[in-house]
Amino acid sequence: MPGEPDTSIWLIIPAYNEAAVIGRVVADVVKRGYNVAVIDDGSTDETGRRAGAAGAIVVTHPINLGQGAALQTGIQFALRQGADTIVTFDADGQHRPADIDSLIGALTTNKADFALGSRFLGGTVAMPLSRRLLLMAATWFTRLTTGLNVSDTHNGLRAMTRRGASRIKLRQNRMAHASELLDEIARSGLRYVEVPVTIEYSWYSLAKGQRFADSLRILVDLSAQRLHR
Amino acid sequence: MIAQIGLSILLLGVLFYAWTEYSRAPAVGLVSMVVAGAGLYFVWLPSQATWLASLVGIGRGVDLILYVWVIISLMVMLNLHLKLRSQTELITALTREIAIANARPVSAATTS
Repeated sequence: MPGEPDTSIWLIIPAYNEAAVIGRVVADVVKRGYNVAVIDDGSTDETGRRAGAAGAIVVTHPINLGQGAALQTGIQFALRQGADTIVTFDADGQHRPADIDSLIGALTTNKADFALGSRFLGGTVAMPLSRRLLLMAATWFTRLTTGLNVSDTHNGLRAMTRRGASRIKLRQNRMAHASELLDEIARSGLRYVEVPVTIEYSWYSLAKGQRFADSLRILVDLSAQRLHR
Repeated sequence: MIAQIGLSILLLGVLFYAWTEYSRAPAVGLVSMVVAGAGLYFVWLPSQATWLASLVGIGRGVDLILYVWVIISLMVMLNLHLKLRSQTELITALTREIAIANARPVSAATTS
């Protein structure tokens, strides 16, 4: 890749039909000097072009596979680019770029391989009650199945070391990947730390977020995976 | 007698299929093998089926076999579902490699 100042930190942003916001989100993080790879998950709109124009490397899935698949593609791509630190970041603008440094800092100060953003340790802006209840149920379920004592299981903002990232192999293409990722962290036995981050709920991010019916689908996906291979 | 031979051949087929599937999806393979084995047994000893049916609270042996057949169908469906998932994983791996191989560098994207 052309001479970036710091090639060791890679931000990966999975995006599917996010043309409305992706340009601003990418520009915000590119100007902070990170390498940014947007995984365009087979979008049918301008997502890929706008992400590229804003300064991201665009990795395009020829077909839509889901956010989990896009994340795994991003991780693999960043590892092949020689990344030392990989940060996952949501495309819908709900994360604050300022939180990225505290996540990366938490990796080194705690000698951890995973730093997981938590909105419940940090703050939320305009979070509806229904969303809070759904996330609490998801967190309870994940604690039960993985044994990890985390406060926010479905936060897209995370940082991981190269060693940590190489241990992540997501097989859940759709939304069950958030629980699966924690499963993989638990199985790797590597150290993880939670870091308070702020999530900003906007009309846009809520419209794209998960609903209750999706959580049932996630349960089915997770159980089916345990039955084969 | 003809029905018994026909059914036996079918069930042996199921048994063989379940055995080949065992390594891929142990849960599905095992249940199918047990069910097919039981089927073979009852085809040749129908009176035993009636005895077992009344034991578990089902009226006739035929009814018992009907229920077991429903279970087999459900297992086949589950197995197909799992196979589809494996297929999806292959497609995902392929798509991922294509995506990474075609990654667009920043310079090219900004000039286009």
